Amino acid sequence: MMAENVCINVAYQRTTFTVPISQPTPRIYTPGEVISPHAGFIVSHGTYIDGDYLKASVAGVKEQVDKLVYVRPLKNRYNGEIGDVVVGRVTEVQQKRWKVDTNSRLDSNLLISSMNLPGGELRRRSVEDEKMMRKFLQEGDLISAEVQNVFDDGSLSLHTRSLKYGKLSQGILLTVFPSLIRRRKNHFHDLHCGASIILGNNGFIWISPTINTEVEGGAGGFTQNLDKEVSMEEREVMARLRNCILALAASKMSLYDTSIVYAFEESQKYKVSELLDAENMLDVALMTYHRLESQEET
Amino acid sequence: MALKLLSDAEKVFILHGVKDDFRCDGRTRQEYRPIEVETEIVSNASGSARVRLANTDILVGVKTEIDTPSPTKPNEGKLEFFVDCSANATPAFEGRGGEELATEISNTLSKAYLCETVFDLQSLCILPGQQCWKLYVDILILECGGNLFDGVSLAVKSAIYNTKVPRIASATIDGGVVDLQLSDDPYDFQTLDVSSAPVLVTLTKIGERCVVDPTAEEEACSLVSVVLAVTEKGRCVTTLVRGEGSLHEDTLIDMLKVGTSLGIEMNKALKAALKLEQSKGENKERFGFLK
Amino acid sequence: MFAMPVDTKRIQGPEVSVPYDQFLAQQSQQSNEEAIGKERIDGRKSDELREIFLKTAVLSQAKGSAYIEMNNTKVICSVFDPREIPRKSEFSVNGELFCEFKYAPFSCRRKRGHQQDSEEKEMSAYLKRALEPAVCRHEFPNLQVDVYALVLENDGSALAAAITCAGLALADASIPMFDLVVAVQMGISITGKKFLDPTLEEEAYCFTLSGSDEKGSFGRVTAAFLPSLEQFSQVVQDGSMVTETYVEVLKELAHASKDAYRLSQECLLKAVQTSKEIKNAEQKN
Repeated sequence: MMAENVCINVAYQRTTFTVPISQPTPRIYTPGEVISPHAGFIVSHGTYIDGDYLKASVAGVKEQVDKLVYVRPLKNRYNGEIGDVVVGRVTEVQQKRWKVDTNSRLDSNLLISSMNLPGGELRRRSVEDEKMMRKFLQEGDLISAEVQNVFDDGSLSLHTRSLKYGKLSQGILLTVFPSLIRRRKNHFHDLHCGASIILGNNGFIWISPTINTEVEGGAGGFTQNLDKEVSMEEREVMARLRNCILALAASKMSLYDTSIVYAFEESQKYKVSELLDAENMLDVALMTYHRLESQEET
Repeated sequence: MALKLLSDAEKVFILHGVKDDFRCDGRTRQEYRPIEVETEIVSNASGSARVRLANTDILVGVKTEIDTPSPTKPNEGKLEFFVDCSANATPAFEGRGGEELATEISNTLSKAYLCETVFDLQSLCILPGQQCWKLYVDILILECGGNLFDGVSLAVKSAIYNTKVPRIASATIDGGVVDLQLSDDPYDFQTLDVSSAPVLVTLTKIGERCVVDPTAEEEACSLVSVVLAVTEKGRCVTTLVRGEGSLHEDTLIDMLKVGTSLGIEMNKALKAALKLEQSKGENKERFGFLK
Repeated sequence: MFAMPVDTKRIQGPEVSVPYDQFLAQQSQQSNEEAIGKERIDGRKSDELREIFLKTAVLSQAKGSAYIEMNNTKVICSVFDPREIPRKSEFSVNGELFCEFKYAPFSCRRKRGHQQDSEEKEMSAYLKRALEPAVCRHEFPNLQVDVYALVLENDGSALAAAITCAGLALADASIPMFDLVVAVQMGISITGKKFLDPTLEEEAYCFTLSGSDEKGSFGRVTAAFLPSLEQFSQVVQDGSMVTETYVEVLKELAHASKDAYRLSQECLLKAVQTSKEIKNAEQKN
């Protein structure tokens, strides 16, 4: 067997089709453009008042709630909302708190008081716990958490006070635009194909082997099993999921359990590594798109 | 380049994947991500090429100018590489941050192209001891997504392949002054032979095995990598060991074998792609860079 | 503190000068080439190292130093105490090595400049990478150890000599190390002749192709080893080599490094013994 290891394409043979957009393109404002000739509105994000005019300060789509007008930027970092599920990476260990990168403008905070410490039930945090901070979470560790509060400056405070949150073990992290993640009731999915995903509202997606919660007692702990080897089947499913999600994201399709499962199923005709090719990625995205469309019609 | 921060568990996952010959994106250890090449995209350059390797984007322009040959090598032209790691590519290159990497890449390239069996510098000679062509190969890193050495070498080879050196109609010495007459026909030019020019293959050691074309995450799991310059005939012309780690004899020998066989494959694939592109001629649609 | 500041006022000599030996009759050079083609001029076997002289603690100002002499290749190396990494704000978990490789202006056929040229910078990088894996860098976080290698006379294998010498100087400076570092060079000519530890003439001979077609391998390989860990810490190669030959050369280099390793060890042992004797003598007094 001599598989092709190197594949060099020529630019002019590139396909540049995109997934069709079903809705009409909304009006897009550019910075400095007049939104409204009179300033009788409440000024909010992405707008400013210049004389009598209300103008856009970012490129994006106008949104209006009564008198409140704001412009939602096309590209944006994550703006947290209370109750959002996020996946984040610990960047700094401080006294009593961890700094967590959640793809927002500012690092988020996870206070030691807003997490379940080993031992299960709520208990008083002692000085010992503070000294052990690095034992629980250290720089580089990944966690899943919920947004507890949004501060004035936009920074978030997180909590992991539920067994479904906590430190993440072996798996793959993907980063996509936060706007591609569709808001759903549930962001934790155990997919039938044999892997679990967490679709963080912040655009961080976590793919991991399905954990048997009954045996291992939930993911809410702070233990990692570093010796366990993920089986080949699971690994293949995870890699395929990864490439499918990236294919959908490349075509700017929204990500939620159904779209991902469909993409996974449509991708079966390709080898996992073939899904890195732009043409095949587009094909998977298109097939998924049509399947979602036809389902909406029925 | 600054390494990506990873948790231990993620590293373990990558390590086991490499061991099982099934990486996070489904590739085998010796598989490259898709590469795209385009030549002739800068009109003012004598030759140019763009290579996109996953999300690494490299633009190379070749300028030909006239120079006097060095006294030690009167029959040879000159070839000079310059790599620009601009801060556009990644904030880590800001200020002098990219300088070290840039010199490393250009040094490796000049070493790889130095040998006379690799690139015939004599073909750039106009009048021995008096005048010669000097090729300035300028490499611009537009986007840095890892695996720079391999991408740069592909782009350089394509750009030199694309280079058109004007034909000299006559060259005479008149009273110690050189008189050059270039051909009037702008389409009268000579091209350069790159058939034995090398490509660089980087092998990154992860755990006990080595992989090619690592992702940023994989790069964070590695301490040492070996860059090999390999010609189409499978000859190794330059070796560079990078990183702060060391290698066991068996690992190194294994890397050499894998690297050369991949180098042969890469040279062939590039040749085929360049031929295909040339066959399309002037009428092909141009994409330009960063698209 | 010993890094030479760039002095622009210093007279650098003519910008472009040409060594005169280029204008010497070509004949003597050719006859030399023929001679090398037959057997090594100094009568060594193809897999024989030159005689090596090693000495530690040759400089009083440096924390550690070493001197290596391989016939006409002479390198001196000094290592200075760990100091805070200059101009660095971030904390680094591992200590750093700063290596400077320099040819003395009179060390080579052609005159070398006072400032490091690009070749010397490249050599410095090789030197750094060759030494780094051997040093317990975690033991001096946020600190930098300076290593200076100065080639006094270059008659081939200067980089290899500098690496071996620097390894020894580090050990002499009591910098914690996982292993000693030794390096050996091998040249191979298009005719298939191998030269272990080549002289300058032999190095040049490895690059004379004299019209022969590209079938055989030729070039040079310098490899640095951590002998007791059995690891390669650096490999520098040029020329053009087929994989099989390359692998062969590497194996022979690994083998040859054992001799150099033994010498380095002996040299260190001797240094310790002599210092002990001095101490004993002092105590008696």
